[in-house]
Amino acid sequence: MLGTLAQHGTDTVGDGAAAAGAHVAHAAESIAAATPGAELMLAVPALTLLAAILCGLCAAFRVRSKLPAWLSVGCLGASFVCVLLTYLNLAGEHGAGGIVPRIAHGFEWLTFQWGRGGTGGEGRSFVADFSLYVDSLTCLWMLFVTGLATLIGLYASEYMVGDVKTAGYSRFFAAFNLFVLSMSCLVMADNLVLLYLGWEGVGLCSYLLIGYFYKKPSAVAAAKKAFIMNRIGDLGLSLGLMLTFVHFGTVQFNELWPLIQSYASGATPTPFIVQLIPVLFTVGAFGKSAQIPLYVWLPDAMEGPTPVSALIHAATMVTAGVYLVARFLPIYALSEWALPIVAWGGALTALLAATIGMAQFDIKRIMAYSTVSQLGYMFAGLGVLGSVGAASHVFTHAFFKALLFLACGAVMHGFAGQLDLRKLSGVQKMPGWRIVGLTMLVGCLNLAGFPLITAGFWSKDMILADAFSHPQFRAIGWILLITAGLTAYYTFRVYFRVFMGPKYFEPGDELHAAAHGDDHGEAHDAAGHVTHSAAPHGQHMAAEGALAAKGHAHDHGHADAHGVFHPHPPGWAINLVLTILALATFAAIPLFFIGDHHGWVGDLVHGSSSNPASAAAAHEAAMHGHGPHGGSFLGMDPHAVMYYVSAVVGIIGIGIAFVLHLAGRTTPATSRADALLPALGPIARAAQHKWYVDELYGVLFVTPLRVLSHIFHLIDKLLVDGLVNLFGWLPRGIGSFVRRSQSGVLHDYGLRMASGLAIILLIVLLGVLR
Amino acid sequence: MIEKLQTLWPEITLFIAACAVMIVGLSGTRSIRALCTPICGLALLIATFLSLGGLGGVDITVTGPLPVLASYGKAMVGVIGVILLLLIPGVVDREFDAAPGGPGEAPQPPRAFEAIRSNTAEFHAFFLFSLMGLMLCAGADDLIWLFLALELTSLPTYVMVTISTARNRSLEAGVKYFFLGALGAAIFLYGFALIYGGTGSTNLEAVHASIVAQADAGGINSITMAGFVMAIIGLCFKIAAVPMHFYTPDVYQGAAAPVAAFLAFVPKSAGFFAIMLLTATLGWSFGASGTELPGPVHSALYIIAVLTMTVGNVLAILQNSIKRILAYSSIAHSGYMLVGIIAGPGGGGGADSTLSRNGLSAVWFYLVCYGVMNVGAFAVVASLERRRADGTHDEIDSVADLRGLCASRPLLGWTMVISAAGLLGLPPLLGFFGKLPLFTSGVGAGHYLLVIILGINSAIAAYYYLRLAAAPLLESRDPAESVGGEIVESPYRLRTAAGLISAVGVVALALGLGGPLGSAATSVGQSGFAPSYVGRRAADRSPAVIPAAAHTVDDEPRDVEPAADGSVDGATIESDGGPPDARFDHAR
Repeated sequence: MLGTLAQHGTDTVGDGAAAAGAHVAHAAESIAAATPGAELMLAVPALTLLAAILCGLCAAFRVRSKLPAWLSVGCLGASFVCVLLTYLNLAGEHGAGGIVPRIAHGFEWLTFQWGRGGTGGEGRSFVADFSLYVDSLTCLWMLFVTGLATLIGLYASEYMVGDVKTAGYSRFFAAFNLFVLSMSCLVMADNLVLLYLGWEGVGLCSYLLIGYFYKKPSAVAAAKKAFIMNRIGDLGLSLGLMLTFVHFGTVQFNELWPLIQSYASGATPTPFIVQLIPVLFTVGAFGKSAQIPLYVWLPDAMEGPTPVSALIHAATMVTAGVYLVARFLPIYALSEWALPIVAWGGALTALLAATIGMAQFDIKRIMAYSTVSQLGYMFAGLGVLGSVGAASHVFTHAFFKALLFLACGAVMHGFAGQLDLRKLSGVQKMPGWRIVGLTMLVGCLNLAGFPLITAGFWSKDMILADAFSHPQFRAIGWILLITAGLTAYYTFRVYFRVFMGPKYFEPGDELHAAAHGDDHGEAHDAAGHVTHSAAPHGQHMAAEGALAAKGHAHDHGHADAHGVFHPHPPGWAINLVLTILALATFAAIPLFFIGDHHGWVGDLVHGSSSNPASAAAAHEAAMHGHGPHGGSFLGMDPHAVMYYVSAVVGIIGIGIAFVLHLAGRTTPATSRADALLPALGPIARAAQHKWYVDELYGVLFVTPLRVLSHIFHLIDKLLVDGLVNLFGWLPRGIGSFVRRSQSGVLHDYGLRMASGLAIILLIVLLGVLR
Repeated sequence: MIEKLQTLWPEITLFIAACAVMIVGLSGTRSIRALCTPICGLALLIATFLSLGGLGGVDITVTGPLPVLASYGKAMVGVIGVILLLLIPGVVDREFDAAPGGPGEAPQPPRAFEAIRSNTAEFHAFFLFSLMGLMLCAGADDLIWLFLALELTSLPTYVMVTISTARNRSLEAGVKYFFLGALGAAIFLYGFALIYGGTGSTNLEAVHASIVAQADAGGINSITMAGFVMAIIGLCFKIAAVPMHFYTPDVYQGAAAPVAAFLAFVPKSAGFFAIMLLTATLGWSFGASGTELPGPVHSALYIIAVLTMTVGNVLAILQNSIKRILAYSSIAHSGYMLVGIIAGPGGGGGADSTLSRNGLSAVWFYLVCYGVMNVGAFAVVASLERRRADGTHDEIDSVADLRGLCASRPLLGWTMVISAAGLLGLPPLLGFFGKLPLFTSGVGAGHYLLVIILGINSAIAAYYYLRLAAAPLLESRDPAESVGGEIVESPYRLRTAAGLISAVGVVALALGLGGPLGSAATSVGQSGFAPSYVGRRAADRSPAVIPAAAHTVDDEPRDVEPAADGSVDGATIESDGGPPDARFDHAR
């Protein structure tokens, strides 16, 4: 630690003219900043901020149309174009792998200097500008963040239409844009403080959007749960941030890399603090990306509107933790414990979430658990230093999971909030649902890792191979392989139950719920024939029924005078988005076969700070594609054989799902799987109850905390309040004593001024001059 | 002489405008009288423009301890002067304006205009004269100039306080203010006289050169030291610091809110300009580390700063009157700013100085922030009045009068909330960014204890500022309380506008628009003298302004021939040279 400080300090002194540390620091930056070309990236935060402000103004001026949605989609689309242009510009000459990191300087944000740079060398500085660090990893993340945000914004313009007559529509899009703004700060930050700002920002937006239906108690509870769980993780990240500054003396990435590299040679033992930093980062990453033990918030977060679940809680925000680990892979490589923690945490989460997902009935929740599980894959990949596989999986997962969520959302939207797979069947055969069914199938194939024709197969395979190629992580490889089978099973359980089989549906309870009706009174009054509808989608359909005949062929009244419910197939925006996403998953496949490092994503990752080769070199372990592989899969080269193994496992999973949930099924509510339940005994029930983790947390943390809080409350009341009151009383006491000097009498004041002067003169002239 | 005059374009503009409003304000026609405010505003804007160098044709920086202060100091006075000006209409001569009647009543006709009873002309002229004095302070390079400028700042305010309301309270406040102000002026004038006695010059550059010479020769003589200490204690009256703070609450409460806002900013700024100039003349090259003010001045300022923050804050807790709270908080804020003075420019104040390290920059920056936030709070008080049953009106005074303001009058309510939260230093508002450099410069200079005391005091301040913020926002108004008459918004809507401008400023300047302000502050803190640290090392004796001569200092040979002293006198003292060499006889 002292070594680094001294080095930093020497630089400062060496600059001669009492230059602040920052100036020296900027010298390093100027190397990267000398090559411009990334300035266009600054447009992304600017455009999203603009869109958020405009949506806020729409709310203020009571705009009751789809204007906020079009503003948002326009700005988001423009930011996607900016990202794309920047990427093409940067990658133009040397391809995806040749992107040199650049700094796009926004404005000076926080700059503090203290100590004296010129004389003693103890001058320190703290610089955190609003500047963007644009390298290939940034490009990768920004491309899918802005691209998906645009598509999902378009989807939401139709999905949220039920609230278009209220301020909720503007509120939704304002928070949506704010989320993209925060996410772009997080991903493009050139320093940890800006990253932390984005980190907190996405947490806030997640809270706001989960609690969007704020009159629904479960949504509010879920929002709070998400926020608190994230706060626990954020504490870890903030501690890591502080330790980074304390140890390295800077929070700017391009200054950090050389400092971190100085340990990578292994010449000097890595200090404890440096080993601790990645562990603390991991706490933050596990909170944001919903890994054990902080995963329980994500399934509950499905209380938010489905576009939010798709964008924030499946595709983008939850990958922030993966981004953090990938970005800081060099420092993870220095730590003995950080990578195993990441790997094991990820693998166990993948397995646990998959087992829970197998036993759930709410299709959106199943997707949520599958997100947790897939994020576990990514962390496991990073933990075994397979950052290429992890990043590839982030990329493909973003598309197919968004697709799955949006397809589930379309079902939920059309069936009045019905999400129970026992109450829906054969949806694909219903009129108007073909696109949803087909795109859902594409998504499911990707998630299940169906061989060759799905992008999910190629990215998942890479992680599995990486895990098996490290002998010490072979157990993780097996866990992930088993999980792959489970994933294929539960994914197709949903598909076969909901989209195949006999046609059947029961509308959801949103037609009859009475929880959330106040704002929307006029909407369903106007609809006339919906008597009991109250919940958001209920009215929204009713509202459309009233507006009638816009775009759809059949009757829009979802519940006619006799109370018969008609499902409501999705409109053009939803279908368009689903189709684009489905095609995108196919388009991603060729990307795995270009470039020098396992595809396009591999090239991007290799060109960034999360280069697995250098990380592995630092970790003194062999990496895939470079040098001999240390591990094997049953004696074979994992990279060669894993394609076949995972393909077989995936198909077996799908096959079991077919046998249990489709073949010969005649009723929607039961299937052959039910016959197996008694054989499993309590295990099935425990899985259905999410292994009682929530209850366990309740017993382990909530109850003791509550008891403790009562005890503390007592202590607080008696002891602390007493002390505080004492301290509170102290100024008042002094005040009332000093107050007497404020007599309001002129000559008193004069006398006091003169004596004050005399006393100070006396102290100064006698005391100091002796 | 001509060179000196051309640095005074802003003051000359204000003077012309003051003459103009003296005539215009006596017109019998109301619409012509109403021109006073636009004339003042125009003059202030022109003065600001000229202060910033016009279109490059005017250079008003002076040679002296802080050359850039003349430019940015005057610009700051101009800008905040405009906001203060918006509060002025309706302070005097209200009876000659049509009074809006109560609800449902017709407006009461104005009284016939009598020039002899009118105060409009004087009031506006005094307003400009006082601001002119403040600008002259910023550009002072001589003790006599400084004294006259300080008095030009203060004398009009005595009258403004007295005529600001028709009540006896104002009369009492004016009398107290005048007598105590005279006492304070006497003290710092005595201090100035001692400085002249100790150094043989009133020119700040010459004084600086003499101090450097004395320090090299073994120590600054006691007379000079006593002079500086007394001058600073006397100036404590202007900045409302202990032990000269006693008048503050009585005078602020007695004066009308617009005048109180004026008092909280203008004389305080004048005092701080003067203290900055005096301490910069001394230089921060003494003490054990070679980075402090000379011992006596350092410890005097230290004591004053600690006492001022503490006394201001603890007394503010006990108040119920908004104006008294703001008065005590104004005392506390002076204490905060003294931390920046004690810390000094850090690192020599050369071209490399930054806002976060340079205490003087921090003080100037905080003055601007404080000026903006403070006007907001006072503007809310000025915009609300209690109309009694008999048709007379009075300013609101109690914190309870603010209750529920955010609901009933959102603009005023939120202005109060934002201003109070800003004054408290709540991030991300302006007060936070203003206070931060004070903290960092204090830490940078190694005065940890002082910074801790500053932190504790900021926490105590939350007690009363949060009351000011909570009353409009969280509490609701009990209708039964309107005993003394209902609370209505003042007919002079410019006051509301002033509040709004400052509230917007508190938010906007904090959110990134403060960048230019920060760089202005940074240049204000740059010393006009070649650094003469460290450890009383022999410094460059040349009086020429060498802002970026940091390297050359260290290269200078340590031993300087005694003959060099003589050349100093010859080179620096131009017109008012004291007896050459005689001062060393005094000194020893």
